[in-house]
Amino acid sequence: MKRILLKLAKMREISAILFLIALFLIIGIINPIFLQGQNIMLTLKGSIMYVFLAAGMTFVILTKEIDVSVGAILGISAAVAATMLRNGNNIVLILLVTLLVGAAAGFINGFGVAKLGVPSIVMTLGTMGILRGLMFIYTGGKWVENLPDYFKKASQVEFLGINVFILITLTLIIMIQLYLSRARKGRFFAAIGDNIEGARLVGVPVNRMKITAFILAGIFSALAGLVYVSQVGFVGNVAGSGAEMTAIAACVLGGVSLQGGIGSVVGAAFGAIIMSSINTGLVFLKVPAYWNNTISGTLLILIVVVDALVQRHLSEKAKKQRLMARTSFVKEDVTIEA
Amino acid sequence: MTDHHNKKIPLVRLENIYKSFSSNLVLKGVCLEVHTSEVVALIGGNGAGKSTLMKILMGIYTPNSGTIEINGEKMNLNNPSIAHSQGIYLVPQEPMLFPNMTVEENILIGFNTNQAELKEKVEQLIKRLGWSLSLSRLANTLSIAEQQLVEILRGLLREAKVLILDEPTSALTFAEIKSLFQLIKELKSEGVGIFYITHRLSEVFEIATDVAILRDGIVTLKGPVNDFDEARLIQGLLPPQTVTKEIDTREDVKKTVDTDKTQPIMEIKDYSGYGFNSINLNVYPGEILGIAGVVGAGRTELAEAIFGLGDVTGGKILLDNEDITGKQVSEVIKKGLNYIPEDRYLNGVFTLADVKSNMTASVLKWLSKVFLHSRKEKDITQRYIKEFRIKVTGQDQTMKSLSGGNQQKVIISRILSTDPKVVILDEPTRGIDAGARGDVYRIIHELKNKGLAVLLISSDLEEVVLLSDRVVTMYHGRINHRFAGSDINLDHLMAASFGVYEDRGK
Repeated sequence: MKRILLKLAKMREISAILFLIALFLIIGIINPIFLQGQNIMLTLKGSIMYVFLAAGMTFVILTKEIDVSVGAILGISAAVAATMLRNGNNIVLILLVTLLVGAAAGFINGFGVAKLGVPSIVMTLGTMGILRGLMFIYTGGKWVENLPDYFKKASQVEFLGINVFILITLTLIIMIQLYLSRARKGRFFAAIGDNIEGARLVGVPVNRMKITAFILAGIFSALAGLVYVSQVGFVGNVAGSGAEMTAIAACVLGGVSLQGGIGSVVGAAFGAIIMSSINTGLVFLKVPAYWNNTISGTLLILIVVVDALVQRHLSEKAKKQRLMARTSFVKEDVTIEA
Repeated sequence: MTDHHNKKIPLVRLENIYKSFSSNLVLKGVCLEVHTSEVVALIGGNGAGKSTLMKILMGIYTPNSGTIEINGEKMNLNNPSIAHSQGIYLVPQEPMLFPNMTVEENILIGFNTNQAELKEKVEQLIKRLGWSLSLSRLANTLSIAEQQLVEILRGLLREAKVLILDEPTSALTFAEIKSLFQLIKELKSEGVGIFYITHRLSEVFEIATDVAILRDGIVTLKGPVNDFDEARLIQGLLPPQTVTKEIDTREDVKKTVDTDKTQPIMEIKDYSGYGFNSINLNVYPGEILGIAGVVGAGRTELAEAIFGLGDVTGGKILLDNEDITGKQVSEVIKKGLNYIPEDRYLNGVFTLADVKSNMTASVLKWLSKVFLHSRKEKDITQRYIKEFRIKVTGQDQTMKSLSGGNQQKVIISRILSTDPKVVILDEPTRGIDAGARGDVYRIIHELKNKGLAVLLISSDLEEVVLLSDRVVTMYHGRINHRFAGSDINLDHLMAASFGVYEDRGK
């Protein structure tokens, strides 16, 4: 019994993994080159950026909020990193400043949502516009190019035959997973999304945790920005635009519920790999690239609708059970007259 | 029994607690205490202030004045975590668990100490109490009883000295209640003091050591449970005899419909659904039928199901000899039944729209083919404003700016514009001031005189007595008693609502 329930609890991630395997098999059958080791590595490398975005997004969605500014944060932090690289700044300083940009943007989001009570969709939509504008002003509308080679080559370094970025990502995801599921405070994020009043009652600092979630989303977006700079080698004006939808779709695909309270960062990471596999897979299926967004959007809505229907069914069932319990109680001393 | 009261310092002493919400004075100087190994049953009607009092003790509300002493020390409780650290724990009526977490996570969240040690402690607790509760189950797979057990475990793990149980049995089955009582007895023997809020008088005598009755914000009766019997508790729940109302002057208005000769307008037969069971009821034109009962007795669930808002599991309803069982709301309205829900703000009023739009919202379909017929709309609105003396500056005044009483009048007008034969009113005067209340009563009488059948659901028993020609009381989802004519009085209705009415006449 215990095992079955534990398995059920993990179902959400398992279905993402099954989906991923099925996706690879289907594309592989149509075009076997897709399944070559080299190509799988390429797909995984391409997914790193989305894994980071989805990891940050997981914190926010667990608390039943949403952050649509992650793409814009990616863009501006990539632009900041790239200009500093071109100017020949110290690499440690560059990393620090870039992550600070992400953290600051996340803090503004979190402050607006938790302290000022602005709905998160509105707040982050606003910051998205602001950051896109700021990025344009900052770069003067020009691409940031001619970056030092050492940074571009960093994305190709291998350790034990595996790309270093993949190893770093793997380590980070495992660490976050342990934090969220094992650490005392890690569970607070899910608790807030699960039952906010209950969370307050057991002493969870709700506002502080929400701000933390947005800051983490900002920092991870900045990390994604660094990956972008290293892998792409230049920063255009549209860097990261539309990435928020991919990130949200990745979370939802990986079993992170938009109702809050459910989901894991491992699931979200698998979701991100699925999303980027779809992108590369389409190339192998010879489907024009402009289908990407259509497919991501369709997947997103489909999964959210199914999830919402299941949740509604469960909560209605629970309510009925409660009401039935009340009426099934008949005491001897009550005489029922005709 | 009373001796140890004087000797020992109470675990908790609440003294002269006053609390008001805006202008509404809920607690008017409440004094209450609990000692070790006591189970103090706290009873009182709806809105008597029981939950407010307990929330003050938990630090969720701050009292306007009064003192709280814990172990003889004056405390300033303004936060649940302070109450927790003082060993006070509230098990809320609806458990506040995290549905997507396991039992273990639910219990351990919020503690700063070593989780492994805590887990061992929880396991020992469960073992000692003899429960079978798997720590790895998800909270959303638990029954309400099991959820309450988890809440109680949370309290015990905090080494609660004072446990507050807010109507713990309201959603439990009989077997679950038995195991809960067993637990309460064990806790009592271990020295825990318990406040036990309940609507069920039989429970008071089963597990309480002391009893306190709260009515209208004051404690009207308190003492060891052995000094009381059910009749005395009912007395304590009733308003003092000295206050006779304008009720008697209206006595002549009451009429008893000759149920043998008149054809019922609505027949409810063996009607069952979620929250109510085997309801049999005939409703006659030109009568006000009161439905009394405590919160959670199933009255609102019944009304919603009749109106087409809830699921029906059995039985049927005939409205004017037509079967309306399980029909959709629009269909039910068309057939001649309408319903004014309990919470106007949630369910009935378009606050930002004007009076006219609110009044004609139900008949829009009949007023128009494509565009609204604005003359007809105005005529209807003007007629009801005049008839019900609704105080408005004009038809275009926004609903939000009207008083509660006038809003209710607008809603009743809207209902009437659909030309119903049966109207169900759920708590029609809740939150309405005394003046407007009289107006609403007058309107209800007018409905009756027009030949409509009115089903009046109200927790205000005086209101039920005042208005109703016949009354049924509901208890645990069933109709447990029926009253007519001079049998309709506060005494009978109160006893029947609490499930302790005995037909002394027969």
